Amino acid sequence: MISVESWGIAGSVVDRGRAGLAWLGQSRGGAVDVVSLSLANRLVGNAEGSAGIETSGGLTLRVSQPTMIALTGAVAEVSVNNGPAVGWGSPVSLPAGAQLRVGRLMDGVRLYIAVRGGVSREADVLRVGSDPATSAATQAAPRAAASTQLRVWPGPRTQWFQPTAWVSLMSTTFEVTGTSRVGVRLHGAALLRLDDRQLPSEGVVEGAVQVPPDGQPIIMLADHPTTGGYPVIAVIDPADLHHVAQAALGTILRFSPAR
Amino acid sequence: MKLLPYGPLAVLAEFDTLAEVMSAAQTWRDAALPGVIDLVPAARTVLVLHDGTFDAGQLTAPTASTHVASTGRAVTLDVVYDGVDLENVATWCGLRVGEVIELHSGTDYAVAFCGFMPGFAYLVGLPPLLHLPRLSTPRTRVPAGSVAIAAEFTGVYPRQSPGGWHLLGRTDATLWDDACNPPALLPPGTTVRFRPT
Repeated sequence: MISVESWGIAGSVVDRGRAGLAWLGQSRGGAVDVVSLSLANRLVGNAEGSAGIETSGGLTLRVSQPTMIALTGAVAEVSVNNGPAVGWGSPVSLPAGAQLRVGRLMDGVRLYIAVRGGVSREADVLRVGSDPATSAATQAAPRAAASTQLRVWPGPRTQWFQPTAWVSLMSTTFEVTGTSRVGVRLHGAALLRLDDRQLPSEGVVEGAVQVPPDGQPIIMLADHPTTGGYPVIAVIDPADLHHVAQAALGTILRFSPAR
Repeated sequence: MKLLPYGPLAVLAEFDTLAEVMSAAQTWRDAALPGVIDLVPAARTVLVLHDGTFDAGQLTAPTASTHVASTGRAVTLDVVYDGVDLENVATWCGLRVGEVIELHSGTDYAVAFCGFMPGFAYLVGLPPLLHLPRLSTPRTRVPAGSVAIAAEFTGVYPRQSPGGWHLLGRTDATLWDDACNPPALLPPGTTVRFRPT
């Protein structure tokens, strides 16, 4: 059993979410950065989709029995019993009674903690699942460099924009000015439309680059609304979405054609 | 029907009318097209989410003779018509309150699509006499179970949320239940009737 003493910033238990419910108004949900959750699970010998913890810092928990964990995603100050720092991307064994503290994030937006056996949440208590009877990783995972160069595909409403909008998207930079489970807000050259026609609400995908009337794009993430009324100029390549999920405020992003 | 690109894992089919949307969404769902993960109808489009192996050439617009828009699922919702906007709606529509209730509960509706929040269904079939623009200033708090109307739609708020629709009444029905399959009480294609209680 694990007791969560502080959930900190945006702390929650997540799995890979559920596809196939957008027609009922529910987007995927689950881990915003699925790649990092999957890696953390592999490190402790879990199935990739096992439920783990997502946090943007400030999380404190205590384990009641010896527990194997792994940290991936964002890099943070993480300590055990106010003592030694815990390494990124490798299985760590916590002794019974140990307190794990995730401090401030130093790089990235979302840190993932996998627990060998997986967890299920009951209020502030996390039940640890049965041991998967697999071997955990024997060496640390290399930490891939965060990419700020994102591949994009044309969106369904690319033609609603002035030709210069696509050129601006491909050739200028955009700064991250907001990030949440719903999406990432960018600031850069205004992506201007040909006219101010109203778009009837239509289905939206994860990674869609929506453009509100002010011309400043928003990239949709795990908890995005399933439909939206702003035209979508482009779609982030699914292989690059985890970089968007980890792009902190102030990050400068660039886009290039996926093909 | 027009197919619009939407990245490597989706394609957007665009139609001229909502009736065509409802028919295509239902036909394609019934066809259980291999590789398709979800079909999301909206006002004029059906978003086809797939696994990357899907060939969009398999998407053909249903013809009038193959038109289907109902799944056969039918739900009756018991409604207490005591909504805060009931009298205003009656005034704006030039009707008595009793007539608004009779009109709203006297017809079968069909779920055209879902959106806004999990389990929020946009029902079509609202008598034209009750078509009103949405509130100019949305409320910050609409209670769960509120039965409401806006433009050509009626719907029920699955949980408390902000909202700009006119509130006619409330129902105790559970609109979303994770333990059910599907979790939404009113998936697209459902026939819905409101029963005053």
